[in-house]
Amino acid sequence: MQPSETPPLLSCHGLSKRFGAADGIGSVLANDVVDLDLYAGRIHALLGENGAGKSTLMSMLSGWLSPDSGEMRLSGAPLVLRSPAAALRAGIGMVHQRFSLVEALSVAENLALASGGAPDARAAAELAHSFGLALDPRRCVAELSMGERQRLEILKMLALGARILILDEPTSVLAPSEIDALYATLRRLADEGRAVVLITHKLPEIAGAADEVSVLRRGRMVARNIPRDPALPDGWDMAALSGLMVGRELPADGAASRREHGEVVLRVRGLRGQGQPPAFSGIDFEVARGETFAIVGVAGNGQEALAATLGGMTRPASGSVEVLGRAIGPRTGRDLVAYVPEDRHGAATVPDLTLAENLLLSTTGSRGAFFSRRAGARSAAAAIRALGVTASGPEALARELSGGNLQKFILARELAKGAPLLLVEQPTQGLDVLAVSEVHAAIRRAAESTAVLLVTGDPLEALALAGRVAVLFRGRIAGVVEASAPDAFDRVGRLMAGLGVDVSNEGGPAVGGPAAGVVAGGAR
Amino acid sequence: MPLRLVLEPRQAAAPLRALISLGTALGLAWAFGSLVFALAGAEGLSGIGAAWRAMLQGALGSGYSVSEILVKAAPLTLTGLAVALCCRLNLWNIGAEGQFVCGALASCWVALFMAPGLPPRLLLPVALAAGAAGGAAWAFAPALLKARLGVNEILSTLLLNYVAVLFMEHLYYGPWRDPAGFGFPGTAELPEAVWLPTFFGTRVHLGLGLALALAGALWWLLARTRWGFRARVLGLSPKAAAYAGFRSARITVTAMCLSGALAGLAGAGELLGVQHRVQDGLASGLGFAGIVVAFLARLNLLAVPLAALFLGALLVGADQLQTELRLPGTAVLALEAALLFGALLGEFLAANRLRLVRRGRKEAGHAG
Repeated sequence: MQPSETPPLLSCHGLSKRFGAADGIGSVLANDVVDLDLYAGRIHALLGENGAGKSTLMSMLSGWLSPDSGEMRLSGAPLVLRSPAAALRAGIGMVHQRFSLVEALSVAENLALASGGAPDARAAAELAHSFGLALDPRRCVAELSMGERQRLEILKMLALGARILILDEPTSVLAPSEIDALYATLRRLADEGRAVVLITHKLPEIAGAADEVSVLRRGRMVARNIPRDPALPDGWDMAALSGLMVGRELPADGAASRREHGEVVLRVRGLRGQGQPPAFSGIDFEVARGETFAIVGVAGNGQEALAATLGGMTRPASGSVEVLGRAIGPRTGRDLVAYVPEDRHGAATVPDLTLAENLLLSTTGSRGAFFSRRAGARSAAAAIRALGVTASGPEALARELSGGNLQKFILARELAKGAPLLLVEQPTQGLDVLAVSEVHAAIRRAAESTAVLLVTGDPLEALALAGRVAVLFRGRIAGVVEASAPDAFDRVGRLMAGLGVDVSNEGGPAVGGPAAGVVAGGAR
Repeated sequence: MPLRLVLEPRQAAAPLRALISLGTALGLAWAFGSLVFALAGAEGLSGIGAAWRAMLQGALGSGYSVSEILVKAAPLTLTGLAVALCCRLNLWNIGAEGQFVCGALASCWVALFMAPGLPPRLLLPVALAAGAAGGAAWAFAPALLKARLGVNEILSTLLLNYVAVLFMEHLYYGPWRDPAGFGFPGTAELPEAVWLPTFFGTRVHLGLGLALALAGALWWLLARTRWGFRARVLGLSPKAAAYAGFRSARITVTAMCLSGALAGLAGAGELLGVQHRVQDGLASGLGFAGIVVAFLARLNLLAVPLAALFLGALLVGADQLQTELRLPGTAVLALEAALLFGALLGEFLAANRLRLVRRGRKEAGHAG
């Protein structure tokens, strides 16, 4: 804990927030007596896994949620926030992962919408300039890059007088080249006397920008205001931080990759995506039975399109995807891939159909003119039992299930297909802690008998589940890291950020089975 | 204390939603209809009341008028089914009118030019089948453009309506005009062998039974068959359809052609059951009215015949307005529009709650 002469700008004491009835089934204590101090002039990283309670905490700070108990003080005075507008008036502004901008309007018009005045391009330009943010006020938001949109969101908050600026996963939407610019902006805003909070689960991010770190795990603050240690290259002992975050040491012995692997199930050759430039290209790898292979990347580096192609939803421009020698495509080989796509509520299920009908979505193939609702209901009931899904029954609508329960249902449905390959994409995004561990357990069990391909944006998830981790950067595999390597996390993080050419494709594609073609602990 | 209106999503039970939706539709139509009557010359509240009573009397006052409602309900059911089927797939077939016309033209062609070569027993089924095929053919081009190139089907189907009507006029003013018709525009009367049988000495024809049977069949198709399941998934979530590997383009084309066939059958039924010749007045808006029917039925295929009966009663009742109160018969079009707006507004109100909130109550700043 940091001894500090200056009092904190904002301090929280004993904040708790529970969702669902206390002691009820499905009730989650998202924040459990959390303390947090934010100081002017510092960039504070709030670190935690998906579902650790980061968003809940920040929603309480920015007025979207009110705490069940505990108190907040702003410059020493008690602070009660009943709405986001009240938080803004108190000088607390939040930039969400999803921007709230009107795409058809210009930068100046969006600013005017937020502040209530008339659009004034010159004033907007001066405002942007005064904060060192490069933005052309006349340009339409639709034409802006994600980085520019983020700048506009930050500018909106600053225009409203934010002294405490909270950014939720700010780098997840950015191209690597834009990340440094963001860090520079945040540094400047902090130097001008603001408190900046970065919510993240990515360790490389804090190494690049933060002054101090707090770690949330399962709703509790397990470390608070740890300052940067200038003696360490990354500022902190990253292994210790990730240990705090996940509550366990990362699998250092590489147990997952030591298992005997069977025959090669998935063979991907020279895969190149549609579009100009293609979303991905030069993708070569193989996954064997009994092996878990992960593809990680910061959002926007091509893994969404790659997963859709591997799952057979879209055709590649060239190259091939084969499972046990059979090609996978929109019309072929769908029964060979158990596919859990990222979009749970729109692609993997139809919210307005029942679980019985949703079960028939991917499992019936094309036999017969009629579909048996009774068989669907039976299989749905089996899927509900298999992974302990909380639902009223097969006739429940998919929309009535929580995210975690729906994901378990989808996973159970796909596993019941008995396909040789399980493809899971962002399987735990947005799930609570309990559901995350259940989904991970189900994937580990599946990996005992099938080949598993995990596509995720979360390096910790990849390293926790997979034997090998391929990092996708700008549509290409920047390197493949053996999860058991002692510095695996660090190297995955650097590859994701586009730093350090680890192992490129230059030496040949990442094929040849789990043992060959993989670099464990250094360059070839 | 200033008040403001707040919209909140609500989770109402299905029957309540239906009630809200229909209540709003009827309420708005009643209010708007009264306004139209007043503008059209009804004097005072009593005048407006008299107009409504005349409509009710006109629709339900005699056995004949009730039978006329059934005559109207047959094509309205079919065009309503055509629109509702497409809407369930998130497609907007605004072209039921044109498909209706093409169906009528196709069956007229069979009746006029193929009748001599066909056995009499086959004549009627062939003419009906030709009607369905004609409607489907008119829907095929917009369907293909939509499925392959993403061309907006609202515009293509809407614009093709005018092409169809102009083509029909060209035919009955030109090549198909009755040579013995003293120069009146219109084809010759069709041979009686191709007329749809009528019942009880009224104009109620076999088309009504056909329409009811098709409503049931279409419901069964969507609810119980694999194709119907795929179509529903595609309508609810195109991404889920892609995920499941359904042939979305093919389903889209099939559904729109099926929709066109239903509208074409409506046109064939109107021609073979009621008009017996292609002439001015065949395209009288029954295709467009299908849109109102579909939304009054809230896209529930089994409710479409009921909605068609209701709209049929409105149309028959409106004729009475014209004769008795000398109000323009086109006032009924305003009523149709009000019903459609009301149904759409009602759907919105069923999904959202309007609430009055005191301004400032939700916002509070520092407590100390």
